[in-house]
Amino acid sequence: MNLLNNYFLNSAFFAQSGTESAVPTAVSQVVDSAVPIQAWTNSMLVPIVLGAVGYLFIQHGVVKSKAYFAAGAVAVLLAVGFALGFTPGTFDSYVLMAFCAVATGGGIGFLTAREPVYAALGFATAVLSVCGVLFMQSALFIAAATMIVYAGATIIIFLFVLMFAQQTELRTYDVQLNNPLVAAAIGAILLATITMCVTKNNAILPVRVDSTRVMSAASLPDSLSSEAGKEASKKLDAIDPNLRYVPKLTAGLGRSMYTDYLLAVELAGTVLLVATIGAIALAQRTTETQS
Amino acid sequence: MNETTQNLLVFGGVLFVIGMVGFLTRRSLILMFLSLEMMLSGVSVNLIAFSRHHQNYQGQILAVMVLTIAACEAAIALALVVSLYRRKATLDVAAWDDLSETLIPKVIETPQTLEEPAMEFPKLTPAGLDPLSRPISADFDAQSLENGESVKANTLEAGTHA
Repeated sequence: MNLLNNYFLNSAFFAQSGTESAVPTAVSQVVDSAVPIQAWTNSMLVPIVLGAVGYLFIQHGVVKSKAYFAAGAVAVLLAVGFALGFTPGTFDSYVLMAFCAVATGGGIGFLTAREPVYAALGFATAVLSVCGVLFMQSALFIAAATMIVYAGATIIIFLFVLMFAQQTELRTYDVQLNNPLVAAAIGAILLATITMCVTKNNAILPVRVDSTRVMSAASLPDSLSSEAGKEASKKLDAIDPNLRYVPKLTAGLGRSMYTDYLLAVELAGTVLLVATIGAIALAQRTTETQS
Repeated sequence: MNETTQNLLVFGGVLFVIGMVGFLTRRSLILMFLSLEMMLSGVSVNLIAFSRHHQNYQGQILAVMVLTIAACEAAIALALVVSLYRRKATLDVAAWDDLSETLIPKVIETPQTLEEPAMEFPKLTPAGLDPLSRPISADFDAQSLENGESVKANTLEAGTHA
């Protein structure tokens, strides 16, 4: 209640002083989707069940070592389905859906590959495509950082350890899995629940812009699609048609991070330091042989 | 905007569920940690979608934090995996079942390997002389066929070899 009161007070204050930014107006128009949502929800259940059954088939050896074929087929099917389901779409949305489909295909390859190295490669594919998705969502810094940290560092180190521990033939623990039936059932139920909750009518409220917070630098600047961004690009066009308007997304992220979330950044740095010390201490060889 | 957010939430859920199923089924320690990372990337997609939806930076900052913690977790997990591998020389989680409850009955597993596909050699068309049907004599000289004369320079050597 206290928080709610504060929120109302703040919004009243900012409505009076007129410092509301121009960004919310661009988003506040409710966009109703063209596809009837209930039908979409029910039709989403079919691929989930099919995916679970296909996963069980692959794990039980009915389909042998065709993991990457299955992943590619799923990716193509998803891409075609997305393209059909969202037909008046922009080019951006198609690129986004293609990234989503490739990431899902890589994830399925990761899930169904027998050899651990192939599974790691599938994971790399999925993570790189997720970077593309983040990029399309104008989270440029996160996309770059994910690419460097996950695909650059984590995957390479995991591959090193895999090859350090990997023998030539497949091990039993790579082939025989723990309860694939139970896991697939849990996964299918969870995914169906998530899908039904998310795609329900009015599940996601159209706007809850937080630019009314006091002392907050945490609001996206005018991106190209918003009204303010269009105005800015028009201004630049009037000066010189060759100029292009670039929204300062990363700069705003840094400003918000080092003003609103300074304590969290310091804590994250401390955690990184502790993790470094812990990793070095854990990986040291014991000196029993010397004594 | 609304529709894109919904699609991305479903996509994040798909990644999360893939990671969860992988974590539940895989038995190799490293692949279990990779499944965890997959779940975290699904969460990151969710956060970014909401950040875009609400037009603020809070989701992105939370995603940065998730990335940081994932990096820490990967470092410590690798150190643990390496030291565990030094102990028992296997990446199987079941090797460390002694640490769990003793009440759970142990599953005796039958070793199972994938059958390797049989190697197929290419069938070449036969060329040249068949040494089985027409054995080459010890004093055979290839140059004598070309020149039409018998040069038996190497006869002594070939004889000693035979």
